[in-house]
Amino acid sequence: MGYVDVSGIRHTLPDGRVLLDDVSFRIGEGARAALIGENGAGKTTLLRIIAGDLLPEAGAVARTGGLGVMRQFIGSVRDDTNVQRFLVDLSPPAVREAWDAVEAAELALMESDDERAQMAYAHALSHWGDVGGYEAEVTWDTVTVAALGMPYEGCKYRELSTLSGGEQKRLALEGLLRGPDEVLLLDEPDNYLDVPGKRWLEERLLETRKTVLFVSHDRELLGRVADRVVTVEGGSAWVHGGGFVSYHEARSARHERLAELRRRWDEEHQRLIDLVRTLQQQAANSPDMANRYHAMQTRLAKFEAIGPPPERPPEQKVAMRLRGGRTGVRAVIAEQLELTGLMKPFDAEIWYGDRVGVLGANGAGKSHFLRLLAGQEVAHTGGCRLGARVVPGFFAQTHAHPEWQERTPVDLLWHGEPGRPGVDRGRAMAALRRYGLADSGDQLFRTLSGGQQARFQILLLELSGATLLLLDEPTDNLDVLSAEALEEALTAFDGTVLAVTHDRWFARSFDRFLVFGADGRVYESTEPVFDETRVQRAR
Amino acid sequence: MTLAVRRIVLDPAISSAILRLSAEFPDVGRRSIGLVVRTCREELRGSPTDALPELVERLARQRLHAPAL
Repeated sequence: MGYVDVSGIRHTLPDGRVLLDDVSFRIGEGARAALIGENGAGKTTLLRIIAGDLLPEAGAVARTGGLGVMRQFIGSVRDDTNVQRFLVDLSPPAVREAWDAVEAAELALMESDDERAQMAYAHALSHWGDVGGYEAEVTWDTVTVAALGMPYEGCKYRELSTLSGGEQKRLALEGLLRGPDEVLLLDEPDNYLDVPGKRWLEERLLETRKTVLFVSHDRELLGRVADRVVTVEGGSAWVHGGGFVSYHEARSARHERLAELRRRWDEEHQRLIDLVRTLQQQAANSPDMANRYHAMQTRLAKFEAIGPPPERPPEQKVAMRLRGGRTGVRAVIAEQLELTGLMKPFDAEIWYGDRVGVLGANGAGKSHFLRLLAGQEVAHTGGCRLGARVVPGFFAQTHAHPEWQERTPVDLLWHGEPGRPGVDRGRAMAALRRYGLADSGDQLFRTLSGGQQARFQILLLELSGATLLLLDEPTDNLDVLSAEALEEALTAFDGTVLAVTHDRWFARSFDRFLVFGADGRVYESTEPVFDETRVQRAR
Repeated sequence: MTLAVRRIVLDPAISSAILRLSAEFPDVGRRSIGLVVRTCREELRGSPTDALPELVERLARQRLHAPAL
């Protein structure tokens, strides 16, 4: 079994801010450690340093047992990567290199069939066998059957972009959990997974003997799986040796202890300064006191040189003010609505003020339903209309806003868009500050973390004056505190809320539920239903 | 340059390649083809078993096509 030992890591951002300083912890053999922290605290950066993608400014990472990494973007792959390439990239470096050599040799053979090219190809194939490539292909077959229900040969050239986010995640997780690497770094492995998928993930993580360090914002997953919690905050990291259940208590106690230590240090500092001043005056009057004065000066200098203990990390303040407004009593009316090829016709009435959770397995058509309500083009039959004064505001699951990528939040707020007037820089910064985004106001949208992008989208909803919130997995990228702030904001929102979610904790805050069943049936429930299985469709 | 190598018994990589190459190169003696194929087989020793027949045949074909030096 493997372990990860992080010691004295320091990382500075390009703008000179110290993101991480003196980060040290050890994840021992077979541990299942959660890495948590506020959005932008440096979790992903720390994972990248551990994975070897980033070189730390100071400190070192020691590890044994081979490292498998699942990156955050998996689930939203939209390029031309195919299943084969994806599985190769998840493999140990030796397998990856051998694969690349085989591919290069095959290309060379296409150019020229001479003896040299043939021998190079034979050598590449031998090496592929030597590094366990053929065994890896057998594993990939097991992986694709488990994740996609298809043998490897039948799907290896399939582009990843044709798979749902949940399928991409599951493919990666199956690959890593069945692979040879003993240490796994999983950056938000539960994103895009539906509830059965999350439960499956929980079981697999509980039964694996590998050492796992994972980032997650799912409170249920954290509670069930993590046996220790590494928190990145205040520019450093600390470890809670218990599970997530006792984490909040431990964190509060730590913050109080830090505040107390700091208070004592400040008091002692002030006492020494006062003493130096007193002795300075006494030394001026009596040369006998000069030695004591210099001794006290030295003592103060040494005290200051050691420096104060770390400060209590500042609490992230996120204040979302989703206002909404009074609309017609019937906010959404669906009559024999059928999204073509996705589900059977259904009727639904959603009333002003309702909090409706839209539940169901991946691929059941939940996101399409929300997009239809948001006024986007979605193939359908039957009727679907919004009530009087209902203004939809849509939060997209994958933050798919290519037009925003090269613009900054301040710029986007300043220009506005139809239905959302622009605001000046002062107001924009004030609004961004409430969402904990003031430091990122002039950063390009594409460089914001997933959680920061999510918070910015919620801010746009606030400014758009929407009276019907259509939220597609809003808590997926939000840290725990931001998710709680969103829950509070939704409670105070004067309007109607429809949210697609696989967050069991979040779902419990809703009044009723629209469930998209695996059999294509859409039905209402007063209790959250998380047991709908994956929708089976011909591929 | 070809190498004198021991006969490899019951090797499908060799027998099928000799059969096909004999039909492809009627002007070359079957004995010579056998020697080229066995030499290739020996040089490709260590290659994955499943890929061996194709590798041997391709390399032998290449050598039979190559002009004599």
